[in-house]
Amino acid sequence: MSTQASTSVAVNEARGRRSTEDVENPKIHFRVCRFIIETGVKLGMRSVPMATACVLYHRFFQSASLQVYEPYLVAMSAIYLAGKVEEQHLRTRDIINVCHRYFHPDSEALELDGKFWELRDSIVQCELLILRQLNFQVSFEHPHRYLLHYLLSVRSLLNRHAWSRTPIAETALAVLKDSYHGSVCVRHKPQHLALTSLYLALQTYGVQLPRGEREWWQVVCAEITKAQIETIMSELLQLYDMEAKCT
Amino acid sequence: MDRMRKIKRQLSLTLRGGNSGDKTMSETISSQDTGAHSDSEAMPVGGSGGLRGSVRGSGGSFSMHSLLQSYSSALRRPRSLGRSLSSYLNHTTRLEIVHEDVKMGSDGESDQASATSSDEVHSPVRVRLRNNPGRKISSEDINKRLSLPADIRLPDGYLEKFSLNSPLFDKPLSRRLRRVSLSEIGFGKLETYVKLDKLGEGTYATVYKGRSKLTDNLVALKEIRLEHEEGAPCTAIREVSLLKDLKHANIVTLHDIIHTQKSLTLVFEYLDKDLKQYLDDCGNSIHMHNVKLFLFQLLRGLNYCHRRKVLHRDLKPQNLLINERGELKLADFGLARAKSIPTKTYSNEVVTLWYRPPDILLGSTDYSTQIDMWGVGCIFYEMSTGRPLFPGSTVEEELHFIFKLLGTPTEETWPGITSNEEFISYNYPRYRPDSLHNHTPRLDNDGVDLLSKLLQFEGKKRIAAEEAMRHPYFHCLGERTITLPDTTSIFALQEIQLEKEPGMRTNSLSESVNSISQRQSLLF
Repeated sequence: MSTQASTSVAVNEARGRRSTEDVENPKIHFRVCRFIIETGVKLGMRSVPMATACVLYHRFFQSASLQVYEPYLVAMSAIYLAGKVEEQHLRTRDIINVCHRYFHPDSEALELDGKFWELRDSIVQCELLILRQLNFQVSFEHPHRYLLHYLLSVRSLLNRHAWSRTPIAETALAVLKDSYHGSVCVRHKPQHLALTSLYLALQTYGVQLPRGEREWWQVVCAEITKAQIETIMSELLQLYDMEAKCT
Repeated sequence: MDRMRKIKRQLSLTLRGGNSGDKTMSETISSQDTGAHSDSEAMPVGGSGGLRGSVRGSGGSFSMHSLLQSYSSALRRPRSLGRSLSSYLNHTTRLEIVHEDVKMGSDGESDQASATSSDEVHSPVRVRLRNNPGRKISSEDINKRLSLPADIRLPDGYLEKFSLNSPLFDKPLSRRLRRVSLSEIGFGKLETYVKLDKLGEGTYATVYKGRSKLTDNLVALKEIRLEHEEGAPCTAIREVSLLKDLKHANIVTLHDIIHTQKSLTLVFEYLDKDLKQYLDDCGNSIHMHNVKLFLFQLLRGLNYCHRRKVLHRDLKPQNLLINERGELKLADFGLARAKSIPTKTYSNEVVTLWYRPPDILLGSTDYSTQIDMWGVGCIFYEMSTGRPLFPGSTVEEELHFIFKLLGTPTEETWPGITSNEEFISYNYPRYRPDSLHNHTPRLDNDGVDLLSKLLQFEGKKRIAAEEAMRHPYFHCLGERTITLPDTTSIFALQEIQLEKEPGMRTNSLSESVNSISQRQSLLF
């Protein structure tokens, strides 16, 4: 009995510890991903390498602890590695300079001294660390192309005026890109994420699609359920809540 | 619907953020988004739509401050990362990445689950095992548990370590636990492999012949140096990430990956020679039945890749490995899934143009699986005749060779070609197509028909790997070759036999002659 009690206390303690981490970690990840996306834009990265960088980051921290690894360094290496994986090769020097400017907007570029080389070496080392942690599984299927297909199907269901009145495509893409701020992008199938982004965009503008025997989303993506859409949607909306907390 | 209204309200609130105003929600979104969607790829700021909008608005000094702090720690971090890295590297048991069955590789969540459950929660599985204490653990149990090949030899004393309460058997196998176990057996460790001869050297990698102490089998060790400033070469990253998912009898197997601080070693299965050497060794005249077997296996491996949307993009005889049984395997996936195909490597070695299709030579970047099928045709010809089909050394010469045989394309034979600027600028003479029959005396009518279907100017007209496997040319191999499971070799079928090569030189001679030139395939 007593052992049982002490175990349950331990469990509760662990749970308590967990819950503060559960609250704080997503915020940290949100900020770091915002950093990845912002530096990515400044480095001229295309959407897919940028998405890969975020996925690398999230996958890494699915199995590694924030207490052990510096998230911003992992982020920089994720950007570098994503460039290699998606063939938009980025130079470490550019990454370091852009990141340096992100953190110190008013300062000059770093001198090419020991500190700079040390930083570059840690990016290269950390890249290897990510590769090992992810078991070299670094090519991912992204939702972007599914979204494109879904958009084409939905457009054909709507009349031309309804389509041109509302920026459905733009909003869906924006929602999809925003989803990379959280681990929602690695916890769901790319098809499901793409569909939910579109679903959310349509709902936002109150666009109704003609309903046949099945719902439109059943037509374009047969295996998803209403409950799955709602789960992903609420996770996406939580990210927008997070934004308010992370300014 | 009610729920949706709630969500919409929530969304509108968050999108509006702190900015007050009477805007409707859609206005808010579109005003924040207009920047983002006009050019989603290249806009300097605003690439991520809604979120970014208010970041700019109210982000301000506070977040900058916290980021500054975290960055200063990031800058201080290198040393501590160095430390954690070295401890990480020493701590092989936990993190050694070993070759593992894809199915076993969970997403990492099970790691955490098992870590917490080990201390506090009693696993029902353990209880059940305790009730059955008489059972002995055999090496088969372990092989099965870890999905190891049957021919593996576990190290002495490894079996004794297992009592029935050992972590390997008393709960569901997590990824970490499996790694630990595999590492204890010897996977992921350099000591497990004995280096024998050096097979070749490239800019990034050196290839050795080796022997695995675990299985006594020969292996090819591709040692990639990491002292380069650029870190791991991207060809290696792509090759490993692809090969981990490709399991097929006609694709070279990646057994293991070994990390040390200075190098990354990929352990491949060893095959005696590549098709180039095989051709050399039998005096450039392969038995026509064996040509058929090799071509079929090449198509079989490619079909598997193409089904999984993986393109090889660098097919050539040097990249096709052949063992003594006559099994042919695709190797060197360094360029696979590459979006652009370079004409030069990092070391400025020229990538061969001989097997590259005319549409790519003329600058097309819009290609798919058909890019590999042209190369198959060239290799088919080379196996049948003993000499390369189009041995051009420049793009212009390569195209010249192609048009000389197949005829200079016209609007009828290749719609749209007359408006291709590069084609116009080369200004080739107007050749008439030559008959393939005249060039391939050893090939029967079916063979010539298949060859002509592979050597089509336009990618979309080229025969696909799957269709080619069903071509009449292969009918004599029997129906069963088509329906074999992916990982079964065609030589598992009794009716499939390799013919003896009459002109084959003895192994010892060929090895001494060719040991240096061989295995270009495994190099970068």
